[in-house]
Amino acid sequence: MTCDETQEIITGLLDGELLDAERASLESHLEECPDCRLAVEQERRVKRSLHASAERVRAPSALRDRILSDRRIFPEQNRRRWQDYLWPKPRLALPALAVGLILTVALPAFFLLKPKSEPIASAALKTYRLFARGELSVQRAENPNELVEQLTRAVGGHFHPMGYDLTAMQLRPVAGLVRDIQGRHILIAIYQGRGGTLFCYTFFGSEEDAPVDAAKFFDPVKKINFYAFSQDGLNAVLHREGEIICILASEMPMENLLALAKSKARPS
Amino acid sequence: MSGEGKTESVKRTVIATEAMTHLDHLYRVALHLAKGPADADDLVQETFVRALAAHEQFDPGTNMKAWLTKILYNFFFDHYRRNKRWLAAEDGVQPEFEHWQHPADLNSGPESHVLRKELDDQIVQGLSKIPEEFRAPIVLVDIGDFSYGEVAAILSCPIGTIRSRLSRGRKLMQQYLKAYMGDEEKIHGKK
Repeated sequence: MTCDETQEIITGLLDGELLDAERASLESHLEECPDCRLAVEQERRVKRSLHASAERVRAPSALRDRILSDRRIFPEQNRRRWQDYLWPKPRLALPALAVGLILTVALPAFFLLKPKSEPIASAALKTYRLFARGELSVQRAENPNELVEQLTRAVGGHFHPMGYDLTAMQLRPVAGLVRDIQGRHILIAIYQGRGGTLFCYTFFGSEEDAPVDAAKFFDPVKKINFYAFSQDGLNAVLHREGEIICILASEMPMENLLALAKSKARPS
Repeated sequence: MSGEGKTESVKRTVIATEAMTHLDHLYRVALHLAKGPADADDLVQETFVRALAAHEQFDPGTNMKAWLTKILYNFFFDHYRRNKRWLAAEDGVQPEFEHWQHPADLNSGPESHVLRKELDDQIVQGLSKIPEEFRAPIVLVDIGDFSYGEVAAILSCPIGTIRSRLSRGRKLMQQYLKAYMGDEEKIHGKK
């Protein structure tokens, strides 16, 4: 095999697309050729940079809103709009208009007086940004087992944090804490590494703890519902295992996070 | 609404909802095809519209990401190229080699985000300069994480061609990014 012949094969090697025979020939050549070893490393860097750079690109929230409000994509009957409450359909025109006028006065007062109740999932996710700003007090741990023990002890042994092995994603548990939100204990395990930062929230709850606008997916193999939602540039996926709710939150792309949650979830 | 109509509506909604999880991916692909963010937005939105219009062609449990990407590409080729609202190597100014070859480690900003921003800008520019036949496989494999087989299906060409174009495309990108290679390690603090 000549150096010219290796160029495309190196590309296949880096993409994991080589046949065994090709791989063997290339490896044999690489053992003897420092130039081609350098070529492998240079192409690997290009590939890695392209991938890392792309992962930092997110669809603008305005585009997300445009798609969600496009009736050709999400038909009207699946959405609730505030205009629907104030702008009645023609067949209900007169009586509804009267109600509407009253509501235009009453609604603002109602919303002003009503105590705001934030979904617990949304409230929990705020800890991610607090941690990034160094405003979150956490317990550091030397190893995953120690972290799990500390967190479990903190809630009197009533439940355990989800202990996922994410080393394949270059993430390892580094810290944890217990947060009381809306009267419930939330166990938070923090994973970090070259794969970025990932928070894993565990608490007693139900699927109603997912934000109302979360996208729901059913995994027919595991028979689990997954709820995907985004908040302040963070992606999150919630699922239930028995009475325990688990939320994974990260800045990684939603499809990756959803795939991760699906792969790690255990049917209850 | 009849029972059948309701089932159809639910099926559409499920597909639309799952498609939303691929929004970032579709936007990244569109951004490297369209001439700017506004056109990328239009391209992605139209992809969703077309996907929902053809939702009965999607087989649940199969690769939705690849299906959506193929729809995006087909629409791009059918409409955007015809109207010349796509990026082509000959459209833009020539690469500013002097600027590109300025070593990143001489940059006065030590913070990783400075390096990151600079590298990201160069990658966008670099991709915009290379011919589309090489850019498309790079966007789909390196950015979209597709296999050669999936890319071959999306672009309707043989797998061997994909590998060949990828190899040449990465060589071109390597030339453009010469001064910046290694910044990913600096950004992540790797020695």
